[in-house]
Amino acid sequence: MERCLGVVSYTNMDKEFGILCKNRSSYMLPFGGRYRIVDFALSNMVNHNIRTVSVYTGEKVRSALDHLGNGKPWELNRRINGLFIFPPQYDDERKPMGDIYQYHKTEDFFLRAKEDYIYIVNPNIIGKYDLTSAFRYFRETDSDITLIYKDTTCNNGDNIGTHNMVLDQEGNFKNIGVNLGTKNKFRMFLDTGFVKKKVFLEIVRKTIETGEDLDFRQAVLKYKDQYKINAYEFKGHIENIRDIKSYFNSNMNLLNNEIFKELFFEGGPIYTKSKDEPSTLYTNESRVENSLIANGCIIKGRVENSIIFRGVKIGENTVVRNSIIMQKSEVLEETVLVDTILDKYVKIGEGVNLIGSKSLPYIVEKNAVEDREWC
Amino acid sequence: MKKDKVVAMLLAGGQGSRLKLLTKNIAKPAVPFGGKYRIIDFALSNATNSGIRDIGILTQYKPFELNTHIGIGGTWDFDRNTGGLRILPPFMSEDGGRWYTGTANAIYENIDFVDNLDPEFVLILSGDHIYKMDYNELINNHRLNSSDVTIAVREVPWEQASRFGIVNVDQNHRIVEFSEKPEMPKNNMASMGIYVFNWKKLKSYLIQDAKNPDSVHDFGKNVLPLMLREGLKMHVYVFNGYWKDVGTVDSYWQSNMDLLDENNTLDLYDKNWRIYTRNKNLPPQYIAKGSVVNNSMINEGCVIEGEVHNSIIFSGVHIQRDAKVSNSVILSNARISPNVRVDHCVVLEDVLIHEGVKVGSSTNKDILIIDKDIE
Repeated sequence: MERCLGVVSYTNMDKEFGILCKNRSSYMLPFGGRYRIVDFALSNMVNHNIRTVSVYTGEKVRSALDHLGNGKPWELNRRINGLFIFPPQYDDERKPMGDIYQYHKTEDFFLRAKEDYIYIVNPNIIGKYDLTSAFRYFRETDSDITLIYKDTTCNNGDNIGTHNMVLDQEGNFKNIGVNLGTKNKFRMFLDTGFVKKKVFLEIVRKTIETGEDLDFRQAVLKYKDQYKINAYEFKGHIENIRDIKSYFNSNMNLLNNEIFKELFFEGGPIYTKSKDEPSTLYTNESRVENSLIANGCIIKGRVENSIIFRGVKIGENTVVRNSIIMQKSEVLEETVLVDTILDKYVKIGEGVNLIGSKSLPYIVEKNAVEDREWC
Repeated sequence: MKKDKVVAMLLAGGQGSRLKLLTKNIAKPAVPFGGKYRIIDFALSNATNSGIRDIGILTQYKPFELNTHIGIGGTWDFDRNTGGLRILPPFMSEDGGRWYTGTANAIYENIDFVDNLDPEFVLILSGDHIYKMDYNELINNHRLNSSDVTIAVREVPWEQASRFGIVNVDQNHRIVEFSEKPEMPKNNMASMGIYVFNWKKLKSYLIQDAKNPDSVHDFGKNVLPLMLREGLKMHVYVFNGYWKDVGTVDSYWQSNMDLLDENNTLDLYDKNWRIYTRNKNLPPQYIAKGSVVNNSMINEGCVIEGEVHNSIIFSGVHIQRDAKVSNSVILSNARISPNVRVDHCVVLEDVLIHEGVKVGSSTNKDILIIDKDIE
C-alpha cells in the first residue's frame, strides 16, 4: 500500500444536516462518543499503510483544521509524506461545485507524489474496508479503476437515494444509478475505490478541458467506456451518513455489540484527537443502561439508549433517552430529553423537557442555552 | 519576560516495596492510579502546567514500563526543539559506574547534566506523589525570600506529626530545625520531598556530601541538615492542596477511593490544570442493559454488563453479567466473568477471574491484590 496515496473527497451534503452543519462540514460531525466521522476514513487508511493522505475540506474549513492539525493522532505528521489539507480554491469569475475542479487546482500534489495509485474515499460512508485486499485485487486484475460496493437490502426504504451499482451476469461493471427501492436487494456503490494516478489525471484534465463541472464519480461514468473498470465487494458493516436521520441511526447502531466491535476493534483502532479527560464519574443516583459514555463525564441522572460525548454533565433526576449529547454539553436537574441531539457546549436548564421523534430528532444548536422560561 | 532558568529533576527510581505486588514488575512512579493515570503523570503534568521546559527524570528500578510510558515526553509537551525531557539512568564513566545510592547522590551523579543547562534554580521533585501544585508559586516564594533553599511542606494532623519529617520554622517561615519523626513534635509541618535550590549552592554541598563516607547521600537525612548547620537561608512554602504519598497498598486503595467523592480536592475534572497521560485510542465505555453502576469511575474501552459499586475501573475492563465488583480497583484489561464477586480488592492488569469465583469481602481488614488468573 506504500505505492498508493489517499484522498478524502469532499461531498457537498451539509444542507442535509440543518443546523448541525451550520459551521462544520458533514464529515466533521461528532460521532460515536469521541470521534468525528472523518476519523474512520483516516484511521482505516493509516491502518492499511497509506502514508500520504490529502483531505479536501470544502468551504467550512475551520473545524477541520482544528481537528486535523498536523495529523498527529493518525501519525500523519511525517517528515516525508503525511497529511495534506486542501481548502477549496476558485477562480475569480467561476465557482464550480464538483470536486474535479479542486483536483485540477491541486494537480501539482499528484504529479509530485511518488505513488502511482490513488485511493479515494467518501468519508461519510463509514466502514472498516480491508484496503489491503481490495488494493491487491485492483493490482492483480490490472484495472484502471476498481470501485467498491456492498450487497445491501432495502426493506424499509432506508437506502433509497443511494448509489446503485449495475453489474452484468458475469459481474462486469456496467454503470452506477440511483437505488429507488424497487428491489429488496441491490449493490450499493460505497463512493470509494482505487484508480491509477495516470488515469485519474487524464480524467481530471479531460473534464476541465470540456468545461464541465463534475464530481469525479460522474466523470468516471462519462468516460467509463475508455477505461478498464471493475468492482470489488465489501462484506463488512457500513454506515452511510447522508442526512440527519441516518446520522442519528448510525450513532444508535453503535449500541449493537457486533457493529460496535467491528467498527472499533477489527482491522485496527480508530484514532482521534485526544482531549485528556479523566474517567467518567457515576454517582449513587445515576442509572445507565445500553449507552455509550465517553470519558470526562459526570453522570448523576438516568441515561438510556444514548451516546454521551466527552465532558458531558447530566444532573440529578434527569432522564436522557434515545439521545445524542455532544462534547461539553450540560443538562441540569429534573430535565427530560427524548430523541434529542444536543450539539457541543449546549446548556439545558433545570426542568426543561425536550422531546423529538425517531425520524426527526429535536436538535439544539451549538452553544445554545435552553431554559424553562423560554419554552 | 526573561525569567531565571529552572531545571526540574524528577526522582523516579524508587521501588516502593511496601506496595508489594503492585511494584513487582514496575517502579512505583509507573503504578497505575485514578482510572487512567500512572503516578508519575501528576508530577510531569504539574511541571508542564507550571511552564517548566527542562526536566531530567532519574530512573533506576525496573524502568522498562516507565520508559515506555514517558517516551520522548510528547504527552506532556516535553518534546521540544531545545530542552525538554531527558531520562537519566545510572551510567558508566572512565572511573567506573555506580547505581544511584540516594536521592542526593542521584543529582550528584548528574551534576554535568545540570551544569550544561546552567540554571539559576533546580527544582527537585518526586515521581511518587499524587498532587496538583503550581511550581511557580513555590519558585516565586523562593525568589521573594532570596532563599538558598525552599522546602514545600504541608500541615498534617497533629496526632500524625510524629510519623513525618517535621520542619520547625520561625515567624518568617525560615527553617530553624529538622526533626525526623519526632516523638514530641513542636510543629505539624511535614516535608513533601519537593525542594528548590540555588544550583550553585546545591552543587557545592552535593560535592561536600559525596566526600563524607558516613553519609547515605539523602536530601532529608544528610544534605538539608548539613546546609542548615552551615547557616544557609532556608524557608518553607506551605502547600494546602491534596497531596498523597501512596506508600502502602491500603493507602493506594484509599487514595483511589478518595476520587469517588465528587468534591475531592484533587479535582481531576479541572480544565485549568489537566493531568495528562498516554492515550490508548479506545472507544467510549459501553454500559449494557441490566447493569448497575453506582458511585464509580469508569474509563474508556470498558464493557459493563454486571454491577459496579464504589470502584475505580481502568480502561478495557470487561465486567460480565451477574458479576458484582464492590470497593475495588480494577486495572486495565482485567476480565471479570459471570457470577464473580470482587470486594475490597486491587485486580491487576490482564487478570482473568473465572466464572463463580468470590474474592475478598467487606469484612476484610486488608486489601487483597489479585495478580494472577483465578479459577
